[in-house]
Amino acid sequence: MTGRVIVITSGKGGVGKTTTSANIGTALAKDGYKVVLIDTDLGLRNLDLLLGLENRIVYTIVDVIEERCKLKQALVKDKKNPNLSLLAAAQTRDKTAVTAEQLKEICDTLKEENDFVLVDCPAGIEQGFQNAVAGASEAIVVTTPEMSAIRDADRIIGLLEAKEEITSYKLLLNRVRPSLIKSNEMMSVDDVVEILSCPLIGIIPEDTGIITSTNKGEPIVNDEDALAGKAYRNVALRILGEEVPFLDLDEPKGFMAKIKNAFSKLKVKV
Amino acid sequence: MEKGFVENGFIIDLSNAKNTTQLVFELSSIMEHPDVKGKRICLKLGSMDLKQSQLLSIKALIESMEATIAFIDTKSEQTEASAVSLGIIVSEITKESVPTLTASSETVSMDAEPVAVKEEENEDESKTIEVTAETEERYSPIETADGIEDTYEEETTQELSEVIPAESFNNDFESLALNEGILKTEDASKYILLDTGDVLPKGVEENTIDTESLPTLYINQTLRSGQTVSYEGNILIIGDAHPGSEIVATGDITVWGILGGIAHAGSMGNITAKVRALKLNAIQLRIAGLYARRNDTLNVPYVQKTNEFTPEEAQIEDGKIVIYKKLRRD
Repeated sequence: MTGRVIVITSGKGGVGKTTTSANIGTALAKDGYKVVLIDTDLGLRNLDLLLGLENRIVYTIVDVIEERCKLKQALVKDKKNPNLSLLAAAQTRDKTAVTAEQLKEICDTLKEENDFVLVDCPAGIEQGFQNAVAGASEAIVVTTPEMSAIRDADRIIGLLEAKEEITSYKLLLNRVRPSLIKSNEMMSVDDVVEILSCPLIGIIPEDTGIITSTNKGEPIVNDEDALAGKAYRNVALRILGEEVPFLDLDEPKGFMAKIKNAFSKLKVKV
Repeated sequence: MEKGFVENGFIIDLSNAKNTTQLVFELSSIMEHPDVKGKRICLKLGSMDLKQSQLLSIKALIESMEATIAFIDTKSEQTEASAVSLGIIVSEITKESVPTLTASSETVSMDAEPVAVKEEENEDESKTIEVTAETEERYSPIETADGIEDTYEEETTQELSEVIPAESFNNDFESLALNEGILKTEDASKYILLDTGDVLPKGVEENTIDTESLPTLYINQTLRSGQTVSYEGNILIIGDAHPGSEIVATGDITVWGILGGIAHAGSMGNITAKVRALKLNAIQLRIAGLYARRNDTLNVPYVQKTNEFTPEEAQIEDGKIVIYKKLRRD
């Protein structure tokens, strides 16, 4: 078995790389695929918090590299889903503790026994980014509809294009607020796609549920009702090659409108 | 925050104050601003009802800061009446902008002293003894818990004020631990052992070295995420250990504060080593080759600040990590 290694990156910090990694990983594992998440943000790790696994980490990626433990020992199994495991970053070290070759070796080993290896990349374009990208063959570029995030995403896409190993990269637009787009205060999805000329893999609406899910250590994809969770589940399906239409984010709100909407969806399915 | 115009002066908006105490507090914190001197002040009082005497004292407060009241803006009839009788002009604030001062963070920060960051330092011996001597009196209430409170407390304080040699303190402490006033209760649900296999480095065997014979490292600072301390001996941290920090000692670990990170006592196989803290909230507790994680139900990824501390102590018993809470008998 040879799994796919996907790096989740953005350039700018705070746009939702880690949230995206946690949610896509959980969604893929829920669909029955074996998934390993690698946190490469050494010294500023967060992925374990989002998954609620902080208290289970004994060995980190640096322990693996410095041969204090075996790779298998360092994989932390998810609380709920045995298909999902995490290779945590070391909190007490910095980016220089790992080289690109070492990370590539880890990715290569992991992809032999897993369907997906998702690499959560640190912000920036320095060594941390170079390390994270080294073992990957695909990339998801996370951005938000803000000029600064888009500029950084553009820079990242340029760097990814220059890498031979990266065969495909897709854009994930996070924290979209349909009401602001409607009132012309936020760039629309089409605008962003046009500026970056990059294929889209998902649109995630701004959702306050993300904050509570982060604090609880429970990815939002586990919440069946949350819109952002649904959007992330759809991204996972698209990664698997299914054609899923993008969510209609500005659904009408009234009761009758909801019923009408439900009917119209039924028709589409038939 | 309403803006208005006062010649050579400010508007002070106090309409959000809920009572007179708050009003006076806010006003006085604004009046401490050096720019207030010699200015004419307009008070915006909202719907607060002020008696003549109250308004008079506010006026006096303003005048004591060498400022004068230009006029007041109020919605309350009583305040208006009080103002008229004191000869203060009642008017409505209108248009245009003047610097408006409220009890903002700016004002507060002027008073706040910069927080001094204490560096790790070697405690000299005399200093340590001084501290213990001070603490001595505070320990007596625990002893009084067995029923003879009133008389005993007086006796102890007298006794202690006379003799405070460090050796006798140690003896006292031992008797305290044996005293019935401290209840030991096991908190079984808090930590769950991790199945880690053999984690001790190769060639290291379990031992029971007396941790009291080991040297102790004092750290007078809060440990933050990503910081590690390791020492061959005991570690005493005076401060909190935040989540993400790591403390590794071959002997005991004591945190005089909230322990929220990882603590590894007896890291070279000492199974008698203990971890203690005023609040034991460690993400993981490790003693010798045993690792335990915090129960998920308690897995809140941030330190919960609290004023209630029940000192706890973790140690190995029958191949498990158990935690003892020291409770006072009420």
